[in-house]
Amino acid sequence: MKPVREAAQVRRDNPKWAAGALAFGVHAVFVLLLVFGVSWQTEHPAPVMVDLWQSVPRAESPPDAVKPPVRTAPAPAPKPAPAPKPQADEPPPPKAPDIALEKEKQRAETARLKKLKAIQAAEEQARKEAARAEADALKQVRDKQAAEQKKQALLRQMEADELKQSMANESAANAARAARQAEAQAAGARQAALAQTVGRYRDLIRATVRGNTRLPDNLKGNPQVRCLVKLLPTGDVVSVRVTQSSGNPAYDAAVVRAIEKSSPLPLPAEREARAAFVPELSFSHRPQE
Amino acid sequence: MNPELSQDLSLLHLVWNASLPVQFVMLLLLGASLMSWWVIFIKLFTLKRARQLTDQFEHEFWGGSDLNALYQRISSGRESVCEMGRIFEAGFREFLKLRGQSGQSINVILDGTRRAMRATYQRELDSLESHLSFLATVGSVSPYVGLFGTVWGIMIAFVGLSSVAQATLAQVAPGIAEALIATAMGLFAAIPAVVGYNRYTHDIDRLANRMESFMEEFSNILQRQATK
Repeated sequence: MKPVREAAQVRRDNPKWAAGALAFGVHAVFVLLLVFGVSWQTEHPAPVMVDLWQSVPRAESPPDAVKPPVRTAPAPAPKPAPAPKPQADEPPPPKAPDIALEKEKQRAETARLKKLKAIQAAEEQARKEAARAEADALKQVRDKQAAEQKKQALLRQMEADELKQSMANESAANAARAARQAEAQAAGARQAALAQTVGRYRDLIRATVRGNTRLPDNLKGNPQVRCLVKLLPTGDVVSVRVTQSSGNPAYDAAVVRAIEKSSPLPLPAEREARAAFVPELSFSHRPQE
Repeated sequence: MNPELSQDLSLLHLVWNASLPVQFVMLLLLGASLMSWWVIFIKLFTLKRARQLTDQFEHEFWGGSDLNALYQRISSGRESVCEMGRIFEAGFREFLKLRGQSGQSINVILDGTRRAMRATYQRELDSLESHLSFLATVGSVSPYVGLFGTVWGIMIAFVGLSSVAQATLAQVAPGIAEALIATAMGLFAAIPAVVGYNRYTHDIDRLANRMESFMEEFSNILQRQATK
């Protein structure tokens, strides 16, 4: 038992190193994929400047920065974005309250706000006027374009009318020809269908009669009997007359009886198909088909 | 302008700048992942080899070779033997021993043989299943560990956010990114472990079934031999 166990142990040791190397390999591949496969954000993004006009932090402007209104007051220039205000990066802890300073600050603040409002109003005005002028110019251009388009449309309409006329003529001729053809085809189809129906019912009648025929014992060969059967439109047999005897009177009589027994004979429902059977049906019969 | 904006957001940088608990969690997860992949590969090789050897042994055993010769070859220990071969060896040795003692009834001989085979079977199954529970543990626990690291990192990021007056996304984003890396690592450790655990449990079950049916069939063969 012992040597076996040891052998097993030795064998189990083998895959350990390979497995460890593979495990490390999997992780290395994964890390490489992550580091080089994913586009991590490594370059510095361009600095973005944002001026929030409505929410200028009031309380945060440090007390010793009383001057900002003077510094930042932008000239009412056509430039829409005034110079950026210095941001309060690190608000130092507020100093001991200084009422005079506070008041002055407030006054400066209100003045600055007023100025800001004036600037905003002026800008608004200018923008509105510019927009109006632009709209006017745009409208003119659009009118011109519309007129052009109308003309074009008229021309196109005329052309289309002519084309339509000629096409209508042509299509009328075509339609007539097609109608004639269709009629002929329909007639042919009807004829074929009729022939098919007649053939089917002829077979049906023959089968019915054959089923009712008792062949006489002394029948020899395969003689043919031809009968003329008078029929009512309902299929009832009025009379049967042998027009061509088979030469065996017993067989002739058997066929006549079979036809009478088969009354009413199956007839097609269509009037045209029935014309082949009513009022007279020429019927031939052989003992064996 | 803003020092946070110009930060390097590459993976290594994020890991390096993470807070200490998050780094610890990441280290733990990396270790778990390495270990679980190690176990996965070891089991892959071991089970593949076991299957091959079992196929070979079954082919030999049912190929009509002499059982005594087979026993001699296996017990010599010169060639690597599969689990089924060891079961055969234990059973056949016990059978030979009991048969050598005169006056034993067939039932006693066969019972002893079966017990010997059963014991070997249990031992082999145990060694096949070793380390599988580690895979199960990694699979079920490492997502939680990763989540813990993420929660901690996000907590730290928000605490830092509260100390600045103007809160911008750029101040929390790196913190959250580095925290989320912990979750990613947890999942990276857990998914292969779970897959490997399921696959190997199934494989070992199949091997065990084969061994059990072999034990039954071998008992039948021994019974026929004993009554002869």
